[in-house]
Amino acid sequence: MNKILLVIQREYLTRVKKPSFWVLTLVVPILIAAIYAIPIVLASRPLEHSNVLVVDDSGLFKGQFVSGRDITYFDAGSIDYAKRQLETVDSLDAIVYIPARETTLPSDAYLYYRTDAPSVTVQSDVNNQLQKILRNVILLDVHGITPEDYALITSTSIKLRTQDIETGRAGFLQIKLIIGALLAILVFMAVFMFGSQVMRGVMEEKTSRIVEVIVCSVKPFQLMMGKVVGIGLVGLTQFALWVLLSGVALGGLRFTNADLFEQVESRHVTEISTKGTEATSQYQAAQYQAAQYEAGMGVDNEIQDLIEGLSSINFGLILLLFVFYFIFGYLLYASLFAAAGSLVDNETDSQQFTLPMTIPLILSILLMPAMVNEPSGTISTWLSIIPFTSPVSMLFRIPFGVPIWQVVLSMVLLLLTFPLCIWAAAKIYRTAILRYGQKFTWGDLFRIFKGRSGC
Amino acid sequence: MLQINNITKTFGNYRALNDVTLHVSQGKVFGLLGPNGAGKSTLIRIINHIIRPDSGQLIFQGHPMTDADVMQIGYLPEERGLYKKMKVGEQAIYLARLKGLDKATAEKRLHDWFDRLEIDNWWNRKVEELSKGMQQKVQFVVTVLHEPQLLIFDEPFSGFDPVNADILKREILRLKAQGTTIIFSTHNMPSAEELCDDIALINHSEVVLSGPLADIKAQYPGQDLDRIFINTVTGNQSNYQK
Repeated sequence: MNKILLVIQREYLTRVKKPSFWVLTLVVPILIAAIYAIPIVLASRPLEHSNVLVVDDSGLFKGQFVSGRDITYFDAGSIDYAKRQLETVDSLDAIVYIPARETTLPSDAYLYYRTDAPSVTVQSDVNNQLQKILRNVILLDVHGITPEDYALITSTSIKLRTQDIETGRAGFLQIKLIIGALLAILVFMAVFMFGSQVMRGVMEEKTSRIVEVIVCSVKPFQLMMGKVVGIGLVGLTQFALWVLLSGVALGGLRFTNADLFEQVESRHVTEISTKGTEATSQYQAAQYQAAQYEAGMGVDNEIQDLIEGLSSINFGLILLLFVFYFIFGYLLYASLFAAAGSLVDNETDSQQFTLPMTIPLILSILLMPAMVNEPSGTISTWLSIIPFTSPVSMLFRIPFGVPIWQVVLSMVLLLLTFPLCIWAAAKIYRTAILRYGQKFTWGDLFRIFKGRSGC
Repeated sequence: MLQINNITKTFGNYRALNDVTLHVSQGKVFGLLGPNGAGKSTLIRIINHIIRPDSGQLIFQGHPMTDADVMQIGYLPEERGLYKKMKVGEQAIYLARLKGLDKATAEKRLHDWFDRLEIDNWWNRKVEELSKGMQQKVQFVVTVLHEPQLLIFDEPFSGFDPVNADILKREILRLKAQGTTIIFSTHNMPSAEELCDDIALINHSEVVLSGPLADIKAQYPGQDLDRIFINTVTGNQSNYQK
């Protein structure tokens, strides 16, 4: 059996058997499922109906509060009467009290409650209605604009849509931005996380001196590459499990709570469509649109856009390139991390080597704001082609669409560079791994390459 | 068995070995003696192909030594080390497989050895749970498990209590009786005197004395190996008279 396979097997199995591997593997899908499930569970939770008394001494709000699905407003005569009611009648939840005006417009209103504070829903609804009623008063009395006219005015929202004139496809730049940034950060973190695992593994072998025995059985290059490949496979396993388990978790969630999901997902849609048919005249439609806008239901349109935007992105290509850039970006950096690990006896000393060598990687993250501004600009193009930054930067650009020659050039350069890195790392590793207690400097590294290493 | 011909090795400006020539005979215990920094460890690393000599040649079993021949060596370095987080049995099998044993054979031989040394109950314990002496015992077993033709022990007794040192001595002699050639590097002259058939004394990167132990002792009548060692290394007998 090839010895490098034995090394890979050990590196892989010892890590995959660790409880920490499984904790991390399980935590991520659970988090993803939770992020997906919590809003749905919250939205589907039956809301408690609240009854609120309105006492208006200012004379501006009487009869103006609009009851909704969750809250019913009742006008009450005096505040003393209302307070007695609140104390004795269980089904009452709160009193809105607007004192008599001292100036033209009231500046304060009060929300009284008994023992249990009213829910945020009640508070915000009362607040919104107060603002809206007051606004209508000002509009009508000062400017002579009716609430109906106002609804028409504010319903004129215009949306800026981006479109590629060659393909005729919509741009959906924001969605692409988010996906690009996620991909870039994911590769960055993976390279860092698994790269430093390689470094720690190398240091463990050096400081425990077991390397002396092992290099009698395998070549230092085999030992180093076995470790790099083994840990890389751990990384790929982790990603695959994350994707798989997240899918299972989400699928399971949908399956076990099918009613809930359907209910929540259809709720908005039916509300919109029923209201839409009722809105016969243009005026009503405009009014409805304005109401919808105010209620934040414009979100539904955004969800529509999101779905459309997501479907415009080629996920097959992205996954393919993600795997490519992860594998080769990892190989490039992991071999350098291995070299750094062989040079030092403890992690603190390793920083003098890891910091300079990871600067390109960090730079590609730090320069992301510049890339956001111009995904096809000069900085973006160069970063996505230079092999040390391309694994992060190219993935960021991919959702926006990159000229094919740039992708090919970037991939070819990366494929040409990683063997060079491995070669250089192996040279350092072979020399340094058996030198215990020696503090290496950059000058020593230079001498290793001049060939006066002694090995 | 092993012929070391004119080996020279330089690190930067420092000459670690200068024209070293030695002959290790089949089935004998060969004592590689010398003070710290004399070049013993460098020579052992060259024999193990861990580092390459600048010049000189190794002849193993009559032919120039190849990488494949290194598999016929068992090497116990002075600086011992095992993977601390790995279980004893698992780790020993891994190291044996790296030396070319198949899994089943490695497992069977390991149980035999562990039984004989009465450490079979350590099999599923992590190395970090063992004391240093216990770890050394495990490492000794790992060194000899693939039944190499040549064993190299670098200070095998350091860190052992007298009882375990004695067990180890017994096992080394047993291996010798089975025909294994042994290179034994040490500062401990009494144990060298007890175990070695031939010795070589290295000082300042050169062989200063070599031959059968009996012949050497005959050359220096009335002196034990300790005294011969000190006198040869310092080059001045009078300063070190008792």
